[in-house]
Amino acid sequence: MLKASITKKRREFTVDVALELDKGNSLGLFGASGTGKSTVLACIAGIEQPDEGHVELNGFRFFPPALALHKRPVGYLTQEPGLFPHLRVSENISFGIPKNLAQDKEHARWIETLRTRLQLGPLWNAPASLISGGQARRVGLARMLARKPELVLLDEPFAGLDRDLVRELIDDLVLWRRTLGFSMIAVDHQAEVLRRLCPEQAIVLEEGKVVQRGNWNDLYGAPATPLLRSLLAPL
Amino acid sequence: MSLNHKRVARIGAALFALGLLYPFTALFAHVGPWQWSGDVRGHALASVRVSLLLTSCAMAIILAIGTPVALYITRCSVRERLVWQAILLVPILLPPLALGILLTLAFGPYGSLGSHLEHYGIVMTNSATAFILTQVYVGMGYYVLGAVAALDAVPVMLQKQAALLGLSPAKVFWRVTLPLARLGLAVALTLAWVRAIGEFGAVVVTAYYPSGMPVQLWVNLQSFGLPAVMPLLVAFLAVALPLPWLVHVLAQRHRHA
Repeated sequence: MLKASITKKRREFTVDVALELDKGNSLGLFGASGTGKSTVLACIAGIEQPDEGHVELNGFRFFPPALALHKRPVGYLTQEPGLFPHLRVSENISFGIPKNLAQDKEHARWIETLRTRLQLGPLWNAPASLISGGQARRVGLARMLARKPELVLLDEPFAGLDRDLVRELIDDLVLWRRTLGFSMIAVDHQAEVLRRLCPEQAIVLEEGKVVQRGNWNDLYGAPATPLLRSLLAPL
Repeated sequence: MSLNHKRVARIGAALFALGLLYPFTALFAHVGPWQWSGDVRGHALASVRVSLLLTSCAMAIILAIGTPVALYITRCSVRERLVWQAILLVPILLPPLALGILLTLAFGPYGSLGSHLEHYGIVMTNSATAFILTQVYVGMGYYVLGAVAALDAVPVMLQKQAALLGLSPAKVFWRVTLPLARLGLAVALTLAWVRAIGEFGAVVVTAYYPSGMPVQLWVNLQSFGLPAVMPLLVAFLAVALPLPWLVHVLAQRHRHA
């Protein structure tokens, strides 16, 4: 179970969010751009430090004190997948995987699944610096999932990708979450994407504060603020 | 820019380049038959050996000490970083002769440290140790400042991603930071190399013996005149220039790729 309470001062406002997420469940963080959603994810991942609060995953304390990044069983994917440009696609995906695990047959099957489902075969030996943005996003997703993290954090990972690819990636993620049992928090400013990715529950942020939490039907049925109503309205 | 202006600018740039390279025409100057007799040759070859061997030792020390220092500086606060930059600039900005005198006084037999070292058999004037120490002082600032810039250019987010993928800080450095900064580090090291191998002012005070190439050039000039200088000068250019030049060209190509 993830338990997090995060207070982090930003220039315009203070992000102040508390959340709990059962093991294997998913949570969508929704809101307009610049409302502190990414800050919450970055604080849970450890990329940023909260000013106050605590973060704990399955009884394992992340903060305070700040646990070293390499000790957190967390996968974190952003719009910029952060591939290592000096390595090939395959080397990026196997990056950080211990040798004994890399030689395990079940792990090899899992990597093959990722390679097939994410259509990485033709790119496998390409230098990571020479692939397109959409391809890099798929490689980033594979790299993150290769280690089978306990918690997956997605910060608008599908922005700028075409709809068919987004749909496929979401379906894969939902399936893998169920089969692997990882928890997942995703951030997006497109409600439909987030609802499909994290169907169980959502938290809505405005200026760093939680204005509504619950399931998606509640959000659509009775949006708590005019801004949320306009964000959920069809185009 | 019109075609005419472009042509004028190009001619101007070409003249500038010719002006920069013009001093090399002196290699073909009529200074009389080049002198490469046994006496001159022996000292000249010894100076090439001294310069190459001892400068390599100095570079190894600079690399081993300067890289962790540079890494530390990249992680400092802005204020601490400014202090470090000010400290590193001191040996760079110091007139070489003044640096040589300071080093001799500080490490030589007149200082307490120097007399202690001498007690243990470590002679800090006119010795290989003095030569290496001087070159380390001369080149360290150039390397560390260049290395800081190279390490700064590696995106922090990539290093954090590597850590989140399970790599300890040391492994992140070896597998991500170092490979991505290696060209910049090489450029920084070549700057230190060029500066150290060509150093005359400080070395002539601290380590007249064993004579490196710059000191031997000066000795040849004083003792035998230009004909004895020219062969060693060619050797000096051949040893000091090509490698740093190539590294810089490669770095520029990589930057524009």
